[in-house]
Amino acid sequence: MSSHREAPGISKDPVADNTDTYAFRTPNNTITIITNYLPVEAPAGGPNFYEFADDVLYQINIDNDGDGHANVSYHFRFETRNTNPNTFLYNTGPITTLNDATWNRRQRYSVTKVEQRPGRRPKVTPLASGVPCPPCNIGPRSTPNYPDLANQAVKQLKSGELVFAGQRAEGFFVDLGSVFDLGTLRPFQDMHLISTAAAPGVDALANVNVHSIAIQVPISDLTRNHSVPTDPMKPEAVIGVWGSAKRQKGTAYDRDEDHRRYGVGPWKQVSRLGNPLFNEVIVPLDRKDEWNSVKPWADERFAKYVRQPELAALLPMLYPKTFPNLKALNGTERKDLVAILLTGIPAGPIKGFQNFTGTTLADELRLNVAIPPSPTPKRLGILDGDLAGYPNGRRVTDDVVTIELRAVAGATYPLIDSTFKPDGAVTVIEDGTFKNLKRTFLNNFPYLGVPYSGYNVPAA
Amino acid sequence: MQPVSRRKFLATSSAGALGVAGAAAIGPMASAAAADDEPTPDQLAHTGPALLQVHDAAKGEVELLIEERSIVFTDKRLVARMLRASK
Repeated sequence: MSSHREAPGISKDPVADNTDTYAFRTPNNTITIITNYLPVEAPAGGPNFYEFADDVLYQINIDNDGDGHANVSYHFRFETRNTNPNTFLYNTGPITTLNDATWNRRQRYSVTKVEQRPGRRPKVTPLASGVPCPPCNIGPRSTPNYPDLANQAVKQLKSGELVFAGQRAEGFFVDLGSVFDLGTLRPFQDMHLISTAAAPGVDALANVNVHSIAIQVPISDLTRNHSVPTDPMKPEAVIGVWGSAKRQKGTAYDRDEDHRRYGVGPWKQVSRLGNPLFNEVIVPLDRKDEWNSVKPWADERFAKYVRQPELAALLPMLYPKTFPNLKALNGTERKDLVAILLTGIPAGPIKGFQNFTGTTLADELRLNVAIPPSPTPKRLGILDGDLAGYPNGRRVTDDVVTIELRAVAGATYPLIDSTFKPDGAVTVIEDGTFKNLKRTFLNNFPYLGVPYSGYNVPAA
Repeated sequence: MQPVSRRKFLATSSAGALGVAGAAAIGPMASAAAADDEPTPDQLAHTGPALLQVHDAAKGEVELLIEERSIVFTDKRLVARMLRASK
């Protein structure tokens, strides 16, 4: 999955597990950034429906000068309380507004903006506190008009940002069961080394939910000179985005109320996510939690796995005679992948486009904010000529599995060597779930779809 | 983390390294330590929880986690007293 339970350590801490990060241009010269947590939520979550953690610091980070350090961060902290001590229920009647007394278990959150300033202490600006989350989508009796209820939790802050934090339908799709069964790519399993009959892909993340933290910010709040760039070729038009979650170094149970835990000490990063699938399929299992713990500026230590990706070596082995050109390419430094994942694509290879942030190797979701939203988004983004899609930022509808699979298989190597001819298979391999995809997205903030209710969608 | 000597730490930390609430196990240690370096009431004013972690008993290296900070200091006698209390 994009980054769902992708490392041994974080797989045991779902409330801090950053599963997906999106960043894309939205109307009125804004950028929307979404970070997801709590992978693979079964919609029927009662009696304890899913929620954010009070002892986790959730961050959305923006690097606008290419050094792998955040220049602007938005910090989100949650607070949970029960309003009725005498019931075992999450709600004791229908919830139609965020103030209903029938709703027992509530979360609110604060938003703080942190801006780094060279040679000075960071500027810390509390933007809001007590912002309500919506409840989870329970069922037709408890949450009878869920879209309206969730919409009440979309808040415009006095400082201009639009925020939402709460449950959403999972937007990411992948044939996970197939991929991790020795690299099978349904529907091409008949060509696999261990061949079986061809069959359609199976969407492993159909009908599950996640918890999303979304913020819509004026472009000028994020760029290095506070401008709204219109020329995509200007360096200031590019920002790098990633999500991260931190826990305090010490955790203990309270002496007087020994069921309560508290955190103390400095914050330590336990999860992060820039490019989808980076930690999942690039970083070796033994180093995935280490990767989660470091900041993008330290990604040089993982660059060798991008220059010689294991997956590129596996494909010709698992699909004999299917990837001869890729097989011949293996052993060569994959500068195309280094550009896509670690530095951004420099000016030149793609006419009218760049999202290059410099020579610092850092896994960030790079977005050229001067590229306007596409009126007809294409799921394969830049691979299909749509410069507003991945790997220029990431929209909720982008088919990032297919894009990255094809890139690793050689589709993007001609960007740095025009004599290289990708294998014919590269244009047809894809995540096998796309043709049967059942996802509904919103046309407006927070863009990810209405979460599935447990009443209608039982646990898988 | 910021390594400091124990004396400097006691002198400068308003937290009062040894008189913290919410860490019952180190309460007796605080009394013992006070015998040779009596903390002032001001140093004991901290009300939040704190945790002490002995990194390396042989070197007397201790890490104090308090608020959102980590302070490492060396105090072999403190570590020895803590270990004696555990027996």
